[in-house]
Amino acid sequence: MIINPVTRISGFMEIDADIEDNVVADARTEGLLFRGFENMLEGRSPFDAVYFTQRICGICSSAHALASTMALENAMSIAPSQQGRYLRDLIHGCEFLQNHIRHFYQYTAPDFIRLPESNALFATDHNDFRLPKEKNDRIVQHYFDSLAYSRSAHEMLAILGGKAPHNHGIFVGGVTAPATPEKITRFRALLLEIRTFICSKMIPDAYTIADYYKEYFANGRGYGNFLTFGCFNAYHKLGTLYVDPVTNRDGKITPLNPGEITETIYTSWYTAETETYTPYETITQPELEKDDGYSWVKAPRYRGLPYEVGPLARMWLSGAYRHGISTMDRTIARVLEAKKITDVMLTLLNNLIPCVSMQKKYQIPESGRGAGLVDTTRGALGHWVKIENKVISLYQIITPSGWNLSTRSRDLLPGPGEKAMIGATVINPDVPVELGRIIRSFDPCVSCATHVYSKGNLIRTMQVVP
Amino acid sequence: MNTTSGSCPNFSMRLETASMLFHKAVDAVQQGQIPKRNLIWLELTGCAGNIISLLNGEDPDFKGLISQMVHYLYDNSLMAAEGEFAMDQLFDALDSDYILAVEGAVSTKDEGLYTIIGRWKGRPITAYEVIQTFGERAAHVIAVGTCASDGGISAARPNPAQCVGIQNLLNRKVIKLPGCPCHPDWFMGTLAYTLLFGEPELDARQRPLMFYSTLIHDLCPRRPCFDRGVFATQLGEDTCMFKLGCRGPVTRVDCPIRKWNDRVNWPIGDDGPCIGCAMFGFPDKMEPFVRFDTT
Repeated sequence: MIINPVTRISGFMEIDADIEDNVVADARTEGLLFRGFENMLEGRSPFDAVYFTQRICGICSSAHALASTMALENAMSIAPSQQGRYLRDLIHGCEFLQNHIRHFYQYTAPDFIRLPESNALFATDHNDFRLPKEKNDRIVQHYFDSLAYSRSAHEMLAILGGKAPHNHGIFVGGVTAPATPEKITRFRALLLEIRTFICSKMIPDAYTIADYYKEYFANGRGYGNFLTFGCFNAYHKLGTLYVDPVTNRDGKITPLNPGEITETIYTSWYTAETETYTPYETITQPELEKDDGYSWVKAPRYRGLPYEVGPLARMWLSGAYRHGISTMDRTIARVLEAKKITDVMLTLLNNLIPCVSMQKKYQIPESGRGAGLVDTTRGALGHWVKIENKVISLYQIITPSGWNLSTRSRDLLPGPGEKAMIGATVINPDVPVELGRIIRSFDPCVSCATHVYSKGNLIRTMQVVP
Repeated sequence: MNTTSGSCPNFSMRLETASMLFHKAVDAVQQGQIPKRNLIWLELTGCAGNIISLLNGEDPDFKGLISQMVHYLYDNSLMAAEGEFAMDQLFDALDSDYILAVEGAVSTKDEGLYTIIGRWKGRPITAYEVIQTFGERAAHVIAVGTCASDGGISAARPNPAQCVGIQNLLNRKVIKLPGCPCHPDWFMGTLAYTLLFGEPELDARQRPLMFYSTLIHDLCPRRPCFDRGVFATQLGEDTCMFKLGCRGPVTRVDCPIRKWNDRVNWPIGDDGPCIGCAMFGFPDKMEPFVRFDTT
């Protein structure tokens, strides 16, 4: 069984699933888009990475701006000011709100509610819509109402960051422009409106859907291994407002050691000096004729194991949500996290000092290296940069969707997204609506995950289009 | 925050262009003066930032677009359908009258296998195939954003996926709306104009004059600083950023008056240089984006 395109995600993706007696026996997720950002960045000015890497993804560009900025600061031994951190984390917070609102209403809800089919965009091929008309119609109304709030979240982002998507605000040292009292006031007003929408509409709507699709609390579990790089944390005065870098395995929460992050290419069509390597070590070369290869997607690992990242991982690891690990828990954790982020943003806003300048005339070092690790809308994002002769000599990116959609290493353990689908019941294998629902709960971003990957296995087997 | 040039009637009128055209088009549809035509939105080799930007439109907004102005048939990011059923919706429209909007460049390497937009009748459909199939038959083709217009960041050196703008693959004229991303007004205004009157007047690079006729530098509120030689030496200063690498002097688009996200701000307003994202040759010919070594 193949689903392609998996719509309502960012980018292109195929699910190949073997379904036996209505149960998923095996499943593979494959990205279908290749651009090669890491190759492009070689030889460019390190500063340009901040604006360049944002173009990896149109829905989470600020995340890349932030990780890239942190990697540069690390390489240049620059500590951002606390006011600078508050401001750029506020910009990042806007992106969380924008993303979570759009992911819930525009990407997730159409799996469970019937949108007006008079509109061709909303035609579906299944009939598994269970909400009573009145409740269904209320969420349909919120589908359209939500557009104003996700738009407002980007307006807030632009107040501090110039424009969205692809902002100009986040930069080495903090942000480019100081916040004026006028900006802070307008930002706060929009934030409070969004918060009201999240609390009074989005969270209740998620629970309403959950009431009618209870079996989705029992599928899509995956491994239960969680990892976060931390976000909105370790401020000098404010401490940690959300979550520190930690991991969970077998119910045990331990601090993250970034030195134990690796990527492996055993089932990916690449060669490198070693099959498993750390981010600073190598950029892989494509190799199509590889016997064990089945995909171009690589396999990020922590201590050799696949880990799930994202809102459920963060809410679990921070102790804010421990109801369960499933398709529906992922969606509920996401909407609850949106509220949590508004709390964090209000705290940061209350601690802003207006009109503080934080920029300097920076010098690019002759050589250096640095890492920027931060949790973003979809989970743990890492940028690693090496500088030689004042230009980028190596740039490595491991994205959240790289973790969640990862392929298999020598132990043949499926990636977290694959694992979540395996074992799921599919009522009608001709219309496997369950699989799309499960994989969308991860909020896959294939624009991100496949910035260096493609649908390689097709190259040998598919019919080439004339 | 939003005070520049508000008093100039030329500027304030231009801010109404997209909204006015949209409402005219919707009225004409409702009164049966023009048909409600089909719109297909293809995402190809890019970041999907242009559809996100389109959702940011306020007046006109996305809901108005899909419910009042056109029959919006296909969009990978927003359609409820998935898999083969979604692809059927696309291919069923092939013989109908439709306007094609495209975001993203087209990867041409290895017969286009680096971007596959879906599987139809068991066969993977590449961006390379779909743009040629749907591009030639469309009533109008609108390239939305810099990648679709000229290759953009997807074609940055060494261009690993061998990306090109869609015009390179089509034997017909494409309307180009470069910008990374494309401003929702530029798209909505162009689409509404096209529905009402046909193709708008374009410049030599196929961009609608109503949005792309002015140089950022000529309308920049910091132009007086440039003229007097007052230059910023670091980001975050409110003077001219020419020496930090600002590409306003070569970038032709109306950001200084239109601004972004409900007109609340724009890159130069945020004390960061313009990086020329709406220009042919972005990013390679616009780099370095930021420099501190100009004397």
